[in-house]
Amino acid sequence: MDSSPAKRDQNDNKINMKALFKKELQFYLNNPIGYMVIILFAVFANFLFIKDLFVIGSASMRPFFDVLPWLFMIFIPAITMRMFAEERRTNTIEVLLSLPVSELKIVLSKFLVSLTVVGASLLLTVALPVSLYALTNQLGAKLYIPELLVAYLGALLVAASFISIGLYFSLRFENQVVSFLFSVLTLFILIMFATDFMGSIVSGQVQSLLVYFSPVTQMQSFIKGIIDLRSTLYFVNITALSLFLTITTLERRD
Amino acid sequence: MIQLSDITKQFGPPAGGLTAVKDVSFSAKKGDIIGFLGPNGAGKTTTMRMLMGLIKPTSGTITISNLDPIHNRLQLLPSIGYLPENNPLYEDMRVDEYLLFVGEVKGIASDEIDTITQQVDLTDRIHSHISSLSRGYRQRVGLAAALIGDPDILILDEPTSGLDPIEQEKIKLLIKKISKKKIVLFSTHILSEVEDVANRLIIINKGELVYDDKKPKRKGSVEALFKKLVG
Repeated sequence: MDSSPAKRDQNDNKINMKALFKKELQFYLNNPIGYMVIILFAVFANFLFIKDLFVIGSASMRPFFDVLPWLFMIFIPAITMRMFAEERRTNTIEVLLSLPVSELKIVLSKFLVSLTVVGASLLLTVALPVSLYALTNQLGAKLYIPELLVAYLGALLVAASFISIGLYFSLRFENQVVSFLFSVLTLFILIMFATDFMGSIVSGQVQSLLVYFSPVTQMQSFIKGIIDLRSTLYFVNITALSLFLTITTLERRD
Repeated sequence: MIQLSDITKQFGPPAGGLTAVKDVSFSAKKGDIIGFLGPNGAGKTTTMRMLMGLIKPTSGTITISNLDPIHNRLQLLPSIGYLPENNPLYEDMRVDEYLLFVGEVKGIASDEIDTITQQVDLTDRIHSHISSLSRGYRQRVGLAAALIGDPDILILDEPTSGLDPIEQEKIKLLIKKISKKKIVLFSTHILSEVEDVANRLIIINKGELVYDDKKPKRKGSVEALFKKLVG
């Protein structure tokens, strides 16, 4: 290993991470699929909210944030399914693992790009509160901006945890469709924990435990505009645990 | 310096699984241009993947510059260039995007990438999408990526596979040109290629090493040797 120590010195963490992030993002920028997924999400999110807006007659963004986990349940696995599955199918994973970059960085770059895509999609829904404000302002109704920002933060935390779960399944299965289905199923079960349906299957105590472990429950405080430390930790923990599992799976060499 | 000692790789359960590589030992030093031969399924790719730290040997040890290719991969990989089997590439990227990406991850400046692009004769297709390239050009892209960072060790899994004779000749000359002062291990099915490029020959058959010595000098002797050992 006598050659190029200077070159290796240059090979610092930032360059590595930036290059990986750029490579992952390039797929979405160069490819119509990326734009289509983002626009489809925005169309669904806007439609599902608007359709009941005048029926309910309330100037609240609450119904929008209530429906978000259900939308994420389909939309996020659609983004994450190709992340590793495609690399495994085409064997470019071998190219990636033969480059001097850690498994941690490979996983983090894919996570951050997925989060960026979801973030961009959420940005496209900002028109909703803006129009809601414009519509209701004359009537004296008020939209409290910090509350709205906290709700969006909650949405991003939910997205982060869903993405990390999706990435894990994308690495476990070479087939994108299988990885999508397993992610959707897992997220569906997690969301279902919070519904009354579970009450008819399990006992009261178990149900309250399941309700607590549902992302839908944990998002409630954010929707109300409260940054609850426990809920924040819940999402951070799920994200960290799933990313950890993904990294250790990628580190396996058998 | 590469050292493999009693490497065995078993896929599947210990009983009834497939032994892809069995008790293979060899070493390589700077200046060795090794033609790695063997019929399909002999264990060439598995051996190369173990050298790259992509899979773990079931038993035996591998060291590259006295370091373990799995545990010390981040220290070792800047000095190894690898062309995987079937040359997997990111189809949605352009050639320049891909080479820049590899360069950035390896911490190599873009002007050095330009030099490599010229070396492998890719300049005229540098802005093309990888998916639109012919097999020959794709092979050059894979080779260029492996060459970025001027690595001391080159591991090339069938670098000329599927190319026409003219393309094969070009890649062959290129390997010959760049291989001085390096360790090059390349697998191939084209025996004449070994005769022209390699200075050492390793033949494996059914996972076992059957020949490891200097390349026989006489024309046609590699083929005769291969047929004798494998046929």
